Amino acid sequence: MIREKETTLYIGPQHPGITGNMMIKLKVAGDTVVKAETHVGYLHRAFEKLIENRNWLQSFTLLCRFCVPEPDPMELTFARAVEELEGRKVPERAKYIRTIVSELARIQSFLLWYGGQSGSSGLYTVGQWSVGDRNYILDLFEDLTGARIYHMYMWPGGVRRDLPKGWIDKAYRTMDYLEGRLETYNQLLFDNAIFQKRAQGVGIIPKDKAIEWGVVGAPLRGTGIKHDVRIDEPYEAYDKIDFVVPTFEGGDVWARAMVRREEIKQSIHIVRQALDHLPGGSYYNRIPNPMKWTVPAGEAWVKTESVRGEVGFYVASDGSNKPRRVHLKGAAYTHGVSVLEKILPGENIADVSFILNSLGVCPPEIER
Amino acid sequence: MSKLKKENKVLDKLKSVFNLSGEVKRKQRIAVKSDSKHVSSILLFLKNQQGFIHLNHISCVDWIEENEFELVYIVWNPKTKLTVLVHTRIARENPVMENIDTIWDQANTYEREFREMFGIEFPGLVAPKEFILEDWDDIPPMRKDFNSQAYALENFATRPGREDAQDVREVIQKRSGEELPDFAKKYSRD
Repeated sequence: MIREKETTLYIGPQHPGITGNMMIKLKVAGDTVVKAETHVGYLHRAFEKLIENRNWLQSFTLLCRFCVPEPDPMELTFARAVEELEGRKVPERAKYIRTIVSELARIQSFLLWYGGQSGSSGLYTVGQWSVGDRNYILDLFEDLTGARIYHMYMWPGGVRRDLPKGWIDKAYRTMDYLEGRLETYNQLLFDNAIFQKRAQGVGIIPKDKAIEWGVVGAPLRGTGIKHDVRIDEPYEAYDKIDFVVPTFEGGDVWARAMVRREEIKQSIHIVRQALDHLPGGSYYNRIPNPMKWTVPAGEAWVKTESVRGEVGFYVASDGSNKPRRVHLKGAAYTHGVSVLEKILPGENIADVSFILNSLGVCPPEIER
Repeated sequence: MSKLKKENKVLDKLKSVFNLSGEVKRKQRIAVKSDSKHVSSILLFLKNQQGFIHLNHISCVDWIEENEFELVYIVWNPKTKLTVLVHTRIARENPVMENIDTIWDQANTYEREFREMFGIEFPGLVAPKEFILEDWDDIPPMRKDFNSQAYALENFATRPGREDAQDVREVIQKRSGEELPDFAKKYSRD
């Protein structure tokens, strides 16, 4: 007879399940996880503290670095929070451009997720191809903002520049290309028996507990609950755009994957609609000299939908030229700690990084 | 105000049950202020009787001039899509706040963070382990009186050649002998 003894296993801080450094201390019996504990502290860069010593506009260079795979929702959320504090109006054209950039950011993040999720199940080809396709979105960003990853493009009052000549046409053609590629990804990943068998019934979030546990975004919609900040509290041009919020029952990795598979289609659909109806006029309601610019005292809590779930900023101003407090709430703060610790027990060791990927855990968002 | 009927209804209900002040800030946003002793009762009431079952966020702000910390609990109702911000203030000296990780498990993460970053104690906190900082013995770093620049200069070695925290622009100017443009000279973070 073999007695099963519990062993401690440390996964991380560097491992393929996540973008960033984070450790999970597992108690395992054989191959099964008995207890999981998240350990962070490898990536703390004190961004929130540094922002308190910078003026409102300088904060953007730090803000977008909160999470590498998705920098745009950070700058958009913060810009909206500052606009709420100031009562600053955003021109209609800027709202549409912000919607387009947000959805492009979602598409590039979906493609990066394809890579991570497939890589952690051993299907390496998908990742090579999707990261290659992601570059076409980054090309669009480079043409628009001058940068590929960190754009600092959506700032208070609108956007930094108008769309360059020929950009709209290039964006349409990129969307056509990506839409054509989706069938390839279906064949490679979603219709693949290996992926299906690995993903189904793994990492289940119970539907009746999901909202109470603080689950948001695709993992929440993967339990069959339809919540999306773009619908619940519409911002920018989302209230004028027709799109569907996909849901899937099950709450497992497979359900989250199915939700994301549909969401990338919806994002392409939104970009096309916003390009079709792009209004003319100004793209920027100019702010005063940024070095002397003060924001009225008050507080704002603003949310935006990212691929990993909702991104929220609590911003407090004391009326000076620097933020009093900027506090980020990213989806990973709950998904990567309390939710993960609840759903890992009972799972196989080999599925840990697979589950991490499906939750979209981004450690820099936990530590900030 | 008639447009904000749902928001006012929640605010009136809270005012009728608890001794608090508050306002409807805008559509879907209600902010209330209360004594720290009543926060957990307010949150329990909001969760169990008003449908605010989702804890969005907890934030902490250091108002050093007033010698107080402000804690902000943000809860959301998935049915009505309303958000309530519950504010409370506690003294900066020996700050203690009621633990709410029995109401929402995930509050534990926030409380562990505030314990390290602001030095706020939450009696009865489940697993009050180190969260981000390791072996920290200075004043909690997110407090306004913690000077991160002074701490860095004191504790971390400077790269050879950068010992006196030179201004890169000035060094380039000295080496090249070229005059800096006016806008670069005037640049200051203050």
